Amino acid sequence: MIRRPRLPVPEDFTAPSHSPLVAARLGLWLGVAFGLCFGTGLLSHYIQHPPGWFAWPTRPVNLYRVTQGVHVLSGVAAIPLLLAKLWSVYPRLFVRPPVRQPIRLSVHALERVSVLVLVCAAFFELVTGLFNVAQSYPWGFFFPTAHYAVAWLVAGAVLLHVAVKLPVARAALGTPLRGRTAARAAAPGRDESSERRAFLRTSVGVAGIAVLATAGVTVPWLRRVSPLAWRSASGPQGIPINRTAAAARIAVPPDWRLEIVWPGGRHTLSLADLAALPHRTAELPIACVEGWSASAHWTGVPVVELLRWAGAPTGRPVRVTSLETDGLYAASTLPAAHARDPLTLLALRINGEQLSPDHGYPCRLIAASRPGVLQTKWVARLEVLR
Amino acid sequence: MRAVRLLLLVLGAAATAYGGWLLLPQLGTTLPWLIGGPVLHDVLVAPLVGLGGLALGRLVTNRLRLAWIAAGLMASATLLLIAVPLLWRPPSAPPNPGLPDRNYPVGLAVGLTVLWAAIVLILVVATTVDRRVTDRRTNRP
Repeated sequence: MIRRPRLPVPEDFTAPSHSPLVAARLGLWLGVAFGLCFGTGLLSHYIQHPPGWFAWPTRPVNLYRVTQGVHVLSGVAAIPLLLAKLWSVYPRLFVRPPVRQPIRLSVHALERVSVLVLVCAAFFELVTGLFNVAQSYPWGFFFPTAHYAVAWLVAGAVLLHVAVKLPVARAALGTPLRGRTAARAAAPGRDESSERRAFLRTSVGVAGIAVLATAGVTVPWLRRVSPLAWRSASGPQGIPINRTAAAARIAVPPDWRLEIVWPGGRHTLSLADLAALPHRTAELPIACVEGWSASAHWTGVPVVELLRWAGAPTGRPVRVTSLETDGLYAASTLPAAHARDPLTLLALRINGEQLSPDHGYPCRLIAASRPGVLQTKWVARLEVLR
Repeated sequence: MRAVRLLLLVLGAAATAYGGWLLLPQLGTTLPWLIGGPVLHDVLVAPLVGLGGLALGRLVTNRLRLAWIAAGLMASATLLLIAVPLLWRPPSAPPNPGLPDRNYPVGLAVGLTVLWAAIVLILVVATTVDRRVTDRRTNRP
């Protein structure tokens, strides 16, 4: 028998995994993963670009480590869930448009466009996020702004998709997966309900394996288990490094002095002066926006004590500037809550050793519950803002 | 439900418009990466997965075995996808002496080996149990 090749129609796909019962459940789980990813991503964006109404707490010290860990791991879990969901609804790609009915055609077109935006944006977020954690940028755009903008496209397109599909999804979620015994007895042979459940179980299981394979970037007891964790906790002096002193073109002048500036005053001090001040040791994590995190024991002068000692006002935001002259992260602003936190240190030592040049010698900022990119290295200047 | 759907529609349209407006300055460079995913998936990946599934269904007739092999293939494909940025670093990536900080190919190979060893083990145990149950049934007078 020779059939002429033709474009398939939805009815050609007979596997039980293409059932709306499966698609609705996968959609729900994918919605949870995307929701977590969007919420934690938005938090990370606001911490780095705080609007006036936004405040981020200093405790627990691991808070940002947890939210950003959830961000990358929910993204990883979304990869197999998205592929399973697309497989489940793949036959819908071949639905023929109702050409002769203008109203139904426009609804059909609107649904298609919203789904296209959703799939484009969802793939974009997962692919760019995955390359970013490996610090690889094989594209021409600026990752943070593009990833942020497309996140809003995903969020909006998900809401549109739910608005369109709500009746179908509700009916599907209300129908139990386990087919009734009578129905199974009536149609012997292929057990569709058990195949549907097997497909869903496999999708969730694979999402779990994907998380397990990467969670070692942030979960200490999984460090040795996760083969695809993009960062281990190892590195010079026990902590990984993103930006080296050579990459930042840092040359510490022999007469380096820390400058403290506030409205109406100025004070400078040498490294020896800084070393002579009372120190404090705190265990704080470096929690990178790329999701990896690792804790270290940092020793240095609490910023609030330093300001008090210099006679500068405390309880205000502080701008911390690096020796680095260019680069996006050459400076950061400590919000007032972090500036008055006694655990916010100008660290001179890490795990009992003097900071190496790559860790920010002569001194670096380390504060609780902040993204690693804001923990300014090679500090040259503290400016108390109004 | 009508009100909820209408609210979702308005919120969704607003968020999509906001995202589009934010993306506008970078639209030219992001467009290929936006379109690439669905095109690659719909034209290449999904048909190949479908054909692969059909072929696998012909080769493996035992239902249980088929389900576990399919699960293993799905897990392997996911692990390979996650590993792509770790295994392949295009020259545009900036040098970072901290990266790569572990041997990813070996890690991936070990991970896949453990995965398939577990699946083989499960299938062997399941087949043995199955055979015992069948034997007991046939031995009964």
